Amino acid sequence: MSETPILWIVTLAAVALTLWRSRRYVATLALAPGASRFDQPWRRLEGLAIAIGLHRKMLRKQLSGILHALIFVSFFVLFTVTIEAFGSRLFPGFSLAPIGGDSWIALLQDLFAVLMLVGLGLAVYQRYILKPARFRGSSGNDAAIIYALILLIVSSLLIEAGARIVGGADGSWRPVASLVADLLRVLSVQAHPTEQIAYWVHIGAILAFLVYIPGSKHRHMFLAAPNIYFRNLEPAGTAPAVPPERENPGVASLAQFDWKQQLDLLSCTECGRCQAVCPAYASGLPLSPKMLITDMRDALADETSTPLVGGVIAEETLWACTTCRACMEACPVEIEHLPKIIDMRRHLVDEGHVSPMLQDALSNLTRLGNSMGKPSKMRARWTKELGFPVKDARSEPVDVLWFVGDYASYDPRVQDVTRKVAELFTAAGVDFGILFDAERNSGNDVRRVGEEGLFETLAQSNIDAIRECSFNRIVTTDPHSLNALKNDYRHFGAEFEVLHYTALLAELVTAGRLDIAPAGGATVTYHDPCYLGRYNGGFDAPRDLIKAAGYALHDMPRCRENSFCCGAGGGRIWQGDDGVKERPSENRIREALGLGVGIFVVACPKDKVMYTAATDALGVAGQLKVVDVAELIRLREAPAAEGYDRIEGGAING
Amino acid sequence: MKILVVLRMIPDSAGELELTGDGRGIDREWLDFQLNDFDDHALEEAILLKEAAGATVVAVAIGEGSNRVLQMAVARGADEAIALEAEADGMIDSRAIAGSIVALARSKAADLVLCGVQSTEDLFGQLVPYAGARLGWPHVSGSSRLSIEASALRVTQERGGGIAATYEIALPAVIGVQTASKAPRYVSGSKLREASKTAMGKAASEPAGFERSAEIVALRLPGQRGTGENLGDNPENVADRLASILAAKGFAGV
Ligand code: SF4
Ligand code: SF4
Repeated sequence: MSETPILWIVTLAAVALTLWRSRRYVATLALAPGASRFDQPWRRLEGLAIAIGLHRKMLRKQLSGILHALIFVSFFVLFTVTIEAFGSRLFPGFSLAPIGGDSWIALLQDLFAVLMLVGLGLAVYQRYILKPARFRGSSGNDAAIIYALILLIVSSLLIEAGARIVGGADGSWRPVASLVADLLRVLSVQAHPTEQIAYWVHIGAILAFLVYIPGSKHRHMFLAAPNIYFRNLEPAGTAPAVPPERENPGVASLAQFDWKQQLDLLSCTECGRCQAVCPAYASGLPLSPKMLITDMRDALADETSTPLVGGVIAEETLWACTTCRACMEACPVEIEHLPKIIDMRRHLVDEGHVSPMLQDALSNLTRLGNSMGKPSKMRARWTKELGFPVKDARSEPVDVLWFVGDYASYDPRVQDVTRKVAELFTAAGVDFGILFDAERNSGNDVRRVGEEGLFETLAQSNIDAIRECSFNRIVTTDPHSLNALKNDYRHFGAEFEVLHYTALLAELVTAGRLDIAPAGGATVTYHDPCYLGRYNGGFDAPRDLIKAAGYALHDMPRCRENSFCCGAGGGRIWQGDDGVKERPSENRIREALGLGVGIFVVACPKDKVMYTAATDALGVAGQLKVVDVAELIRLREAPAAEGYDRIEGGAING
Repeated sequence: MKILVVLRMIPDSAGELELTGDGRGIDREWLDFQLNDFDDHALEEAILLKEAAGATVVAVAIGEGSNRVLQMAVARGADEAIALEAEADGMIDSRAIAGSIVALARSKAADLVLCGVQSTEDLFGQLVPYAGARLGWPHVSGSSRLSIEASALRVTQERGGGIAATYEIALPAVIGVQTASKAPRYVSGSKLREASKTAMGKAASEPAGFERSAEIVALRLPGQRGTGENLGDNPENVADRLASILAAKGFAGV
């Protein structure tokens, strides 16, 4: 039989071509700096099984999830066809018949060929009829070519099986192929030549697919699983440290990224889920997390490309990111956008490429430990208007060390909330103290802006001050400080027990230590701050408090893990609004307005500032009141003017 | 070429100023100090000259927080850092420090002395003429651009009405910098931390070399003088008050 050598030659040629087309990627991965992603194999496998086996993230988008699952499962079943097609002629005599190749396997193949076509149809319907915005910027050709190849592969295998039945083979386990056979009989084609042609079309399409893969997004068929397996297992809130062997803090070329960061680039499926949730993209800024990845990926293959930072990836793109982490949460193949953005920002900062506003903020932070340029002596000024003294944790032991944070301390729009929190702590008998002028900005956003050296200085200064105190737990007002103290300070060997004030308040409520006068059950909505929710899983405490305060919660469509960033994070609050078409905070307020509630509850000092500004800008301050969750809580013995009794029952009197 | 840059630490104006008991000085105990902005520009201009024409930059800092600022100067490119001893808790008096600057300029064999054109404690920019006179060197104040052309210094000086004059001056010279040719650069925390390993020199203060001519007998804090109204610092009250003032004066239909 002369077919065997031909098939060998064609197959080997295709494999060689595939390897040759992958050579650059293989080389760059082999030469990339190391990353320690080989620990905890069982945990890694478990996550992989959930991600792929259950299609967990994929199914968050129902249609996509279902059609992908159909194609994915069908692919595995139809792989038996491929094995047979190649096996039977590469190794004459090979057959799956002994294990059911002509019976139950044949039946499965037949059914899944149809399911594959159904999946394919849904994919075509989604891409060309529904046209979700998240595909904008993805390669349309890639998708079209793959649809055509799948169609070719499936139809050729059905025609081949059908022709075989026409030629006298048993069709009882192949209901679909039998129908095709009927059709072939109607067309009165000749069985054997048709079978041969279909066979070679099938083989050709499969090999074309193979050769095509290395240059297309369909690499993910091979790389998604390893990329998910080697995912980051560190807490979400720990920004990657600068590897000690790196000469400068930042990354200025693709080759400086470790192999996992580079593998990320090759694994992207261009699904655009990250782009769909990105607040920077939504606001019209020149950042799409998807295109960030694909632009870098394309540069990986192109030796002639311009410098990475400021070339392949524009400076404005890097500065647009709020570090909200929505993209990473959404990515079905666990691509890590943020470590890349932060590393490239580190390079910009090291080179002194920062905007004047950011330079001001960073200079203030260097000089005074806060971004506002306020003297450190004024940090605890807000305590003056309290009716009681606040303990100085530096000079007397406390149970709870309260890390107040910059905005809660200095911003006059938030100080009332800070005082309310102090009053609630006092009413519940919490033994707490603060650091007064020894507190510095936690460095959370400083680190994410790429200012690693300044972050280290701030962190070290806070850690030194905290270690001087005697306390049991730390509580923070700001979710950003919470994240830095809890996750980032671990780099310095500082493992504190840190909780958000909402968690402490919820604990006090549960323990019956706050005598709350519940409100009348008005409906409110609640915004999950990125650094409390997505980063640190603090979803329930604020919701419990809302309930305990006597309000009913109506969540926005984008809530919990899918919360939409206010736009202030990652140092965005220190940058201008240039190029912003719709501020993320205003986008969010519009979402809340759609619910018809009167109160927008927040649990982050920056949110109070951002959303109050947004309701003012939209002229809806009278309709939707931005209230911190602490302000919702009214105590029975509270002084008459306290609490939010003015808005009780949903009636708002400005 | 050797450039000596003078960096003066001044009270942070965002802080609350209080007078000392005798009413003749500012109580410095509760104040934060920051680098005089014009001196920051002088430093930047020195570094830019170094980058353009090659030079050795010696940074001399005076006042509380000098070390921090010297670190920053080194991180930005200064080659040598010297903290000049100064009277603790005192104002940085140009007449008093001119002697020390002159002595350092001589001992370091400087070709060019740069300092900010003024500071909050030298509003009339006397340091430059004092130092120039004592050294017997030419001096120009209010520069907005410096460059070296064939071993002479070109100084562009901002004048009123948008006019700019350019001088050519033989070195050595003393220049009072108003703005650097480019805005002062940002220096990253990691560079600062690197610079903190550099040893900082010290210099003792020298006699002023001028006869005592006048003395401060009283200082007054900025305050109300009848023509203005202090709106306080509670933003809501400020906004309300401002709105009602505007309405009363017929500016807005509030
Ligand atoms: S972290 Fe947020 S802002 Fe940044 S790229 Fe991802 S989704 Fe966009
Ligand atoms: S990065 Fe992830 S979410 Fe974004 S397009 Fe690629 S695969 Fe999809």
